[in-house]
Amino acid sequence: MTESAQPRVFLVDDHELIRSGIRAEIAASVDIVGEADEVEAAIEMILERNPDVVLLDVHMPDGGGQAVLRAVGEHDTTTRFLALSVSDASVDVISVIRAGARGYVTKNISGPDLVDAIYRIAAGDVVFSPRLAGFVLDAFSTGQDDQLILAVDPDLDQLTARERQVLRLIARGYSYKDIAKELSISTKTVESHVSSVLRKLQLSSRYQLSHWASERHLN
Amino acid sequence: MSITTSSHAVVGTPLRPLRRGRDNCILGGVCGGFATRLGIKERNIRVIFALLALFFGLGILLYMTFWLVLTRSGEEHSIIQQIFQNRREAQIVLVAFIATLILVIALQSTGTRVSDGFGWPLLLSAFAAFAIWRGASTDERNHLTDFFNTAPVIGGAFSKSRKGVVLRVVIGAGLVIFGLDQLNRLGGVWRSAGSALFGTAVLVIGVLVLFAPWWLQNVRELTSERRERVRVEERAAMVAHLHDSVLQTLTLIERAAANEGDVVRLARNQERELRQWLFSPETHTNASTSFVGLVGTIEHDVENDYGVRVDLVTVGDCVPDDRVTTLVAAGREAAINAAKWSEAASISIFTEVEPNSISFFVRDRGVGFDLDTIPVDRQGIAMSIRQRMSQLGGEAFITTAVGDGTEVQLVLPRTT
Repeated sequence: MTESAQPRVFLVDDHELIRSGIRAEIAASVDIVGEADEVEAAIEMILERNPDVVLLDVHMPDGGGQAVLRAVGEHDTTTRFLALSVSDASVDVISVIRAGARGYVTKNISGPDLVDAIYRIAAGDVVFSPRLAGFVLDAFSTGQDDQLILAVDPDLDQLTARERQVLRLIARGYSYKDIAKELSISTKTVESHVSSVLRKLQLSSRYQLSHWASERHLN
Repeated sequence: MSITTSSHAVVGTPLRPLRRGRDNCILGGVCGGFATRLGIKERNIRVIFALLALFFGLGILLYMTFWLVLTRSGEEHSIIQQIFQNRREAQIVLVAFIATLILVIALQSTGTRVSDGFGWPLLLSAFAAFAIWRGASTDERNHLTDFFNTAPVIGGAFSKSRKGVVLRVVIGAGLVIFGLDQLNRLGGVWRSAGSALFGTAVLVIGVLVLFAPWWLQNVRELTSERRERVRVEERAAMVAHLHDSVLQTLTLIERAAANEGDVVRLARNQERELRQWLFSPETHTNASTSFVGLVGTIEHDVENDYGVRVDLVTVGDCVPDDRVTTLVAAGREAAINAAKWSEAASISIFTEVEPNSISFFVRDRGVGFDLDTIPVDRQGIAMSIRQRMSQLGGEAFITTAVGDGTEVQLVLPRTT
């Protein structure tokens, strides 16, 4: 994708109403190359059309967004995924990020915000909503058995103080630009912190992360 | 029509009709029933049955027969009627009867003389017991379950405790040894024990092959029946909830369709409630046991009263004490302040519970204001927030500039 061109976007959602709503809001600003309402068709068409960004519904029959992420992830593509959901269940959100999505927004996001998020994903950035930041802070919170984990993989399983700071500011409703101003760093640095958090989230085999998730699930 | 007889026998006063007793019963209430009918003491009838039992088990057989045939006091049908009213039950009981017959004939042919002495009556009684269990009303089944659970020896065998298991094993092993001994004696000499055992084994396998599928199906049906019931109950709870909340709201929205503000407020309200119901564990929503639950009430109230959307993010949770409740009250004031004055469409609330402190952030991207030239009413609120926090030993920071939104930050050190 060149800087000036519109990103090529693919829509995956099993609700026609939601798809048409999203289409109406973003059609003017991006290039919609296709849409699918089921997992299997989505995988096939994404691989065929190779879009820049896939807007992916988390909850669908036959495995949902995670199934699409896994299947496409096995192939060598440059396609990036932005998860879109009405769900507030932290487990869903964290697991779709761990499966490879580069960001997560809720379906009640405004049109301009969604377009902005798509452009950022297309440019290789990560999109964290305040809520996702809250979930991540929660998941990486320093529990008592953290000492055990530290010994195993200190790099991956801990967030740096700076990363925590950035996440907190996102959770407080700050934009990247606000955060950069607040911390007196560049927007690029903020982005790299968030990307690093995402990487940790995806790579960490942290016992606590799955423990945290299962605890949430059981409750 | 069901007929309830008076609960106890009145000596010398015969009462009609003949019903199995409900209150004056030990097992099936047969003796109690006769006592009531004939106006004799229950104990006397029980002695008669016990004596009859000595005659080749006649008393037991008679007892079981009456149990099957007599209607229980307060019920409409006898057990045998119950069984034959339900085709499936009738089939099951018939199959069991045939199985009993086959067992008897087979035992006979292997040389075990069941027809002598107690054999026949006992086997028939066992069959009757099975039929009674299948045909008994729920109430009577409960009574029998209670009886067996509290009976001294048998109850112990049913329990799952270590003692119960030991008891069961001891009794079971004793019975097996006794049975083997009996078989041996019937054969007369040790040598024939082998063939008798073999015969029995073949018999047991034969019976298993014949009836196992039917038995398994029976068990499976019971399980799926139970599962179905759970599903139905869950569905009922879901329907009740959806009806009480979502359906009501939808109706309200239809009626308020002309008023955009009302529609948004109703929809948002419902969305929040549904989310809470779907995704939040109960402990996180209860305002009296959860800090997060308490903060959630701010979201609810501000959105309802001011039509401003609240983006709430919470990290960590704790049980609120007086200090925490005051912190939330201060945060609530800050949120209402932002909703009232900032002119922003939404405000963000972020709370974090850490081991040493609780932070509470309220941020809006509204008009902001100049801290030095605050209108008096707003200053009052800012003051009151600051005062509350300093009384708690915490701090309040207000960051704002004209046109740049406002953020209120409250920090409360935790004492524990």
